[in-house]
Amino acid sequence: MSTRVLRIVTQRPSSFAVGLAVLLLVANVIAQPDFIAPNQIAPTLGTMAPFVIVGMASTLAFLSGGGGIDLSIAPLMGLTNIVLVTVFFGTSFGGPLLAVPILLALGALVGALNGVMVARLRYPPVIATLGTFFVLAGLDLRLVPNPVTAAGDNWTNHLAGSIGPVPGAVLTMGAPLLLWIGLRRTPYVQSLLAVGDHDATAFSAGMDVNAVRISAYAIGGLIAAVGGIALTGLVRSADAQVFNNYILVALAAVALGGTNLAGGRGGLFPSMMGATCIFLLENLLTSLHASAYFIEVAYGGVLFIAVLFGARLFNRAAPA
Amino acid sequence: MRDMANEPAAPAPLTDSQVSPPADVVLEVAGLAKSFGATQALSDCSLDLRRGEVHAIMGENGSGKSTLVKILSGVHRPDGGTVTVGGEKVPFLSSPRAAGTAGIATVFQEILAAGQQSVLENIWLGSDGLLRRRIPKDERMARARETLGELIDVPRLHVAANELALSDRQATCIARALVRDPKVLILDEATSALDVATRERLFAVLERLRARGASILFISHRMDEVEEIADRVTVLRSGRSVATLRRGEATPRELVALMTGDEDAPAEMRSAAAKSSAGAPVVRAAGVRLHDEAEPIDVEIRAGELVGIAGLEGHGQDEFLRVLAGARPFAGAVVCAVDGAEREVRSPGDALARGIAYVPRDRRAESIFESRSILENFQVATVEADRRHGLLRRAHAERRFERYVQTLKIVAGHRTNPITSLSGGNQQKVVIARWLAMSPRILLLNDPTRGVDAGTKRDIYRVLTDAAAEGTAVVMLSTELIELIELMDRVLVFREGQLFCELQRSELTRTRLVESYFGRTAA
Repeated sequence: MSTRVLRIVTQRPSSFAVGLAVLLLVANVIAQPDFIAPNQIAPTLGTMAPFVIVGMASTLAFLSGGGGIDLSIAPLMGLTNIVLVTVFFGTSFGGPLLAVPILLALGALVGALNGVMVARLRYPPVIATLGTFFVLAGLDLRLVPNPVTAAGDNWTNHLAGSIGPVPGAVLTMGAPLLLWIGLRRTPYVQSLLAVGDHDATAFSAGMDVNAVRISAYAIGGLIAAVGGIALTGLVRSADAQVFNNYILVALAAVALGGTNLAGGRGGLFPSMMGATCIFLLENLLTSLHASAYFIEVAYGGVLFIAVLFGARLFNRAAPA
Repeated sequence: MRDMANEPAAPAPLTDSQVSPPADVVLEVAGLAKSFGATQALSDCSLDLRRGEVHAIMGENGSGKSTLVKILSGVHRPDGGTVTVGGEKVPFLSSPRAAGTAGIATVFQEILAAGQQSVLENIWLGSDGLLRRRIPKDERMARARETLGELIDVPRLHVAANELALSDRQATCIARALVRDPKVLILDEATSALDVATRERLFAVLERLRARGASILFISHRMDEVEEIADRVTVLRSGRSVATLRRGEATPRELVALMTGDEDAPAEMRSAAAKSSAGAPVVRAAGVRLHDEAEPIDVEIRAGELVGIAGLEGHGQDEFLRVLAGARPFAGAVVCAVDGAEREVRSPGDALARGIAYVPRDRRAESIFESRSILENFQVATVEADRRHGLLRRAHAERRFERYVQTLKIVAGHRTNPITSLSGGNQQKVVIARWLAMSPRILLLNDPTRGVDAGTKRDIYRVLTDAAAEGTAVVMLSTELIELIELMDRVLVFREGQLFCELQRSELTRTRLVESYFGRTAA
């Protein structure tokens, strides 16, 4: 293979995930030809959306470096779902124009609290966000000990289905991606990568390392709230258990996408690709009637291969 | 070359700011003090930096140069003293950002680059706000190319910083300071990683900056560089500024005398009787090279010798000691003579097996087990000795330990108290006891008396000379001249990653040593 192609491939962290996603898509179509039938696309994307969104939401904490990780993304998504269904629906706040901004602010606030614990109070990120995980999981159960069905027809259903000809999931998955693209046009993303890469350098160059880290967790929380809204459309209820399906998948999606878990390299698009791979893999194995145990094993295998592959490429890109 | 008398008297310190009125002072510090724990890094540092001058700071290890730089860059807060920037007195610079706003840009001794980011990003790091770009995209590109182009021939702006060679990476860090158009540029040993061509170009850039009215604080260990560009030199000694001299006011030898000072004459640390007669060779470095451009090092160390390892901080002496302790060198090998046979040392495990014990420099990170007891910390390297019928016997370990409590005068409470209940000096004694207990053939020590009190130092010296008298080869890296002069049979001086010279006991004087650190020629 020509070194030039190799170089381009190695410089994109998501190359492996993109390639794998294409392969898995083809495999899915072969195994199940109506996978890409026009009337199937919107619901399929609707099922995929929460995976993709939690993956994207988990990415920023990793990028911010310093051992950054946010374990509380999944239960925060659960909390948004529960608050939307049990508090907002059926009141005058139930419409998207009021509910969405309030929920996003809630997500950003919880994320910012994580960020303050990590950056200002110097908690190890694993401990800080694990603590938040337990608090949120408890809060979720307290609010809805048993699942509460959402009122029959509401605007979130369209997000899991279609809005006119456009699949609603394009909106929910596209919103964080658009936010990220917007941020890339500002110095923010570069600052985030520089802080994650080498915080001492960033500090000595005059960057506000704490502000960058806190905002990274806050944006992660905000995206988690988007995930909660997408989830509500999908499950049509408030459920304190459903987030459990997304905890580890979110972290796996980031790693599979090719983001450097130690910070400094990666982005939301790679995580989106990573999450897509996981979703497609699960879908493929399910349609082949593989057992649930085997699906878990397959996740692990793909993750090992991805990390190994990524490490190889990365070492090649960086000279000794 | 200027030649001088053999032992020059230190010239009377001349503070010329008292002589001529301080014209155009852009930065002034007075009575600056800073301590880290028990270590007083700066005690009384005063100097002023004038518009359009290159002001060099010189001083030996631990004189406070880097602490001064970090205070002026907003990294450390001083405990006392004042900083005056542009005529405005500020208690301290609260952050690197505040220092930047005040017009101060610093290039640090360590190369600070975000390795995965592009050179372009590294140059503009920290220049933008969080969301707002202060410099338009085209200008970023053009100015980065221009600034870096002044230092290196073909600036590549889009490669990741860690793909660059060391010299180019440091040039990138220098460019980061230069694009800010600083009023005050601080270069802390920033030339040491540069290749010759880049260094020459940097000096040309500095000339231009000076002509434009910028001021440069220049920290360098190289006497030739200081002579070449410095208008004035301030000498630091033990955290104090002892003199500020104009260009040509002092010869290099006089500068060295100012750096070393005339501290009270030390008492003899070794009795003449204990002076070792060197035995058979026990270990040798065979063609050891610490990096790819270094000259190979060939050194033989004999039983019963006390060998000092010296040099300014970061010139390869630390690496060399680690190589003797089993770390892999860039090239060459360490060979031990064991019972007439030669065995190569390839790993720390090998080193231990051949009777090489190593006392690391960083006590907390590398040698003590903070959560374990005093006794366990002593016992860990020789725990086999306390085994009877497969069980560890604490009483036996305690008996072994008591011997060293006597000889090292360790002041410790109950032996099962945590090691952290002891003072730093006593912790160090426990670590030394740990390794002496394995009766090493070669004892390596990495600056063992750093941050310990005078009494403890004396106890350590005595134990080391006793060990040498019993035939142990003792190799000790030291940053204190007095230890090197009084304790060692010979001293290996390192400079720029290679063995620069070897001084025998009869040649060991303060002047001789410091000259070998700074001077242009071999002693």
